[in-house]
Amino acid sequence: MQREKRAIPDDLFYDRNDFWIKVAEEAVIGLTDYGQGNIGDILYLELVPAGTVVRRGERCGSIESGKWVGSLLAPVSGMIVETNRDAEADPHMVNADPFGRGWLYRIEPADRNEIGLLMDSGAYQAWMEERICLEEKNSQGWID
Amino acid sequence: MDLYDLGPVGWVESQSIYHALALLGREGLILCYPTTPYICLGLHDDLDYEIDRQYCRERGIPLLRRETGGGVVYLDNRQLFFQLVLRQDNPLVPLRRHRFYEKFLQPALSVYRDLGMAAELKPPADIAADGRKSSGNGSGDIGRCVAYVGNILLDFDFVTMSRALKAPDETYRRHLYRIMRANLITLTDCLAYPAEYSRLTTGLIAGFQRQLGDLTPREPDAELRETARRVGERLTSGEWLDLPGRRPAGRKVKIAEGLYLLAQESVGRGRKLTLVRDGVAEEVMAGDDEMELALPFRA
Repeated sequence: MQREKRAIPDDLFYDRNDFWIKVAEEAVIGLTDYGQGNIGDILYLELVPAGTVVRRGERCGSIESGKWVGSLLAPVSGMIVETNRDAEADPHMVNADPFGRGWLYRIEPADRNEIGLLMDSGAYQAWMEERICLEEKNSQGWID
Repeated sequence: MDLYDLGPVGWVESQSIYHALALLGREGLILCYPTTPYICLGLHDDLDYEIDRQYCRERGIPLLRRETGGGVVYLDNRQLFFQLVLRQDNPLVPLRRHRFYEKFLQPALSVYRDLGMAAELKPPADIAADGRKSSGNGSGDIGRCVAYVGNILLDFDFVTMSRALKAPDETYRRHLYRIMRANLITLTDCLAYPAEYSRLTTGLIAGFQRQLGDLTPREPDAELRETARRVGERLTSGEWLDLPGRRPAGRKVKIAEGLYLLAQESVGRGRKLTLVRDGVAEEVMAGDDEMELALPFRA
């Protein structure tokens, strides 16, 4: 099987729900290239408004691709200080430019210790490859 | 894996039981059909954009919003539902969402083929026979599980579906009926004999067993029934139904994968209707077109 190359910038952190997190005074978060690729063409995005307080691992929005819907789960706890309304209006931005115009939220982190729970790019790369291998193994013999 | 071959169930239960299984973190396959008709919205549908509420009220057609994807559907006892709930960490669940359908539509495809129909997957989530949609499908993450739901159309009430959907005018509605009729196909259209529930479920169970291993027949227990009752109340509550959702500019109805009927207003030119197939305008119609085709009324 031909594997697509997925961008994993070195200056970001990652979680197991395929979010990237850029940490500065505030954190900017979005879906990774690999994450958006797994979801497929994103048709609808529902983001929570600025001012919402979210906790790590809890729902902070909803996403729909070709007949699948799922929740966005916050990678860190904190208060949403800005929601990317442009991406909400044109969800394809998340597919086309996941690390740029397709960002989702700016968050003021509530607990900096949570950053230590995230993966760096090397760990995320290894984890992603492990999942790809597992899926390739499990997908054998699907078609009747 | 547990198998709930439930046959006829109440209209709310035809959705609430799989939600309850997922919320309880229990895996299982459900086969059932609703005893009475209803309208089912997708999680992100906007009720006021999609549905003629007055028509539904007058006809006594109840509404429910499910937590899975896809659009508005009219459901009744001429559709057999298959609903699969798996934990998200089950290695059988593909990471790539479109592969979910590629995998779990195989049993339904086998059923159609066993009946002599040339059925194939129309990605991401339709089954098409002779180029016409014959099965609607959707999925969604519910709790820590993923639910995949689909149906086999034994027959379909095109009249009620086209009347229950909101239309900017009657011309749009008549085109909608015509286009749905031309692009959807049911077992009644194809078979010279009525398809029996047991034959369809036997085929589905055999297909799912090939993918999931042994299926153990079960009845819903008290915990599942109580959770389903509570979930059913939520899925049909006014507050839940009125949640805002997608509202494209102009009226846009998806008829099948890649097939949409659009109504657009243009200044000084009135309303224009466009049938778009796979991104290409296949047919353009004037909004005030005096169609000879009358939408049939039910007695």
